[in-house]
Amino acid sequence: MQRIVITGMGAICALGHNAADTWRAMTEGRSGIGPIRRVDTNQLRNAAAIAAEISDFEPRAFIDEARLPFLDPLSQYALAAANEAISQSGLSFRNERASRTAVVVGVGVAGEETREGLYQKLYGDQCGRFHPLGIVRIMSNAPPSQISMAHGITGPTFTVASACASSNHAIAQAALMMRAGLVDAAIVGGAEACITLGLLRAWEAMRVLAPDTCRPFSINRRGLVLGEGAAMFVLETLESAQARGATILAELAGVGMSADAGDIAAPSDVGAAAAMQAALKDAGMQPTEIDYINAHGTGTAANDCTETRAIHKVFGEHARKLAISSTKPMHGHALGAGGALELIATLGALRHGIVPPTLNYLGPDPACDLDYVPNQARAMPVRAALSNSFAFGGLNAVVAVRQAP
Amino acid sequence: MSTQQEIFEIISKQAKIDITTIKPESTLKDLGVASLDAIEVIFDIEEHFNINLPNEDTDFESGTVGHLVEAVDRQLAQKSPHS
Repeated sequence: MQRIVITGMGAICALGHNAADTWRAMTEGRSGIGPIRRVDTNQLRNAAAIAAEISDFEPRAFIDEARLPFLDPLSQYALAAANEAISQSGLSFRNERASRTAVVVGVGVAGEETREGLYQKLYGDQCGRFHPLGIVRIMSNAPPSQISMAHGITGPTFTVASACASSNHAIAQAALMMRAGLVDAAIVGGAEACITLGLLRAWEAMRVLAPDTCRPFSINRRGLVLGEGAAMFVLETLESAQARGATILAELAGVGMSADAGDIAAPSDVGAAAAMQAALKDAGMQPTEIDYINAHGTGTAANDCTETRAIHKVFGEHARKLAISSTKPMHGHALGAGGALELIATLGALRHGIVPPTLNYLGPDPACDLDYVPNQARAMPVRAALSNSFAFGGLNAVVAVRQAP
Repeated sequence: MSTQQEIFEIISKQAKIDITTIKPESTLKDLGVASLDAIEVIFDIEEHFNINLPNEDTDFESGTVGHLVEAVDRQLAQKSPHS
């Protein structure tokens, strides 16, 4: 079976406009969560309207200006991150490489800013004209299409949508295509631009948004905080990476997927555990080989206890030796982009021997009794790690990575 | 009709349970109202009384129906301070 490695990564989120800045902010325990600027917060119920928004983003610095009219912020973020990842990998897509490369992007809600703008004109302003590029901006397959066009990649290219597990499902799909011999490389990751009034109101109605900040696994946690951004990776066969002397960031060791087949919104520890077990089995690893878990860790009452129980189920006594952190208090819950941004954190932990912290931790909740690396990054060797993503709908996807071969 | 009676009726209708089984000391979880159904119950109560309930007043796991009635009464009092 082909071994798969990661040879490039790129990111944009509230913590930075590239992967290096994002990782540095994570190690310094800086939070990108702040008052929402993009939306009229007077129309929100919650007085402390907060999110992890990207600031000072100038798309022309990242993307060909001629392409911009076609791009919702969703695709702008995806393209900016993909350009960085591809540049770092040193891969070019001329000749046969173009058709032997896939692009798979995880997306949660698609081009929401454009959609909301058009509906505001239709229903709010009673305006009879729609912008002709509305559909190409809104459609959920816009990010992979734009990446394929920008880089001349002609292999299998599509979007995976499974809400907050989209990125990890996308990574899994690409890995499976590579193992099946369909392609030799893949551009994978996730993107989301979800800080819109309509979506904020919808999340508010579900009563899961925190009024103050995001405090995963902590006593007195009060919910999640939305974020936005994208992260992208270049996957390549180990053989190809070694042949061209590429810098290998880590090995993508395994993927695990499951469905709770239970409640549409309340997560199940059985489903979460099944996905972690599947990832370990796929990677051919024992639980004791894992040193770090980047948790889904939303900061909601239901998620954090369920995830903790699932980790106990899978890891037994080793659970207490694991470093576990949720980086969502820093980059927010970026829905479809969540797993990809969290893989930046997970790869950073592997490569630099620094586990990013769970910020805003006030003290232990009796139902969350593991080592969540509270508030400050920790220097420690990380041989292998899991990155968990669990979505509404009961869809779970876990990625296992280990040190570069 | 009292606030409590109106809330009992909303819960009974939404959760499809006999109204006589609802007690002030019951939690929505005790009554078999789970997950999104509980959020819908709160939504229906808010719509019915034309109020907004703060998240801290809607703890589905441990908050009782009695607490919910008190929270609604608090919001109604704020809405019409002289009534």
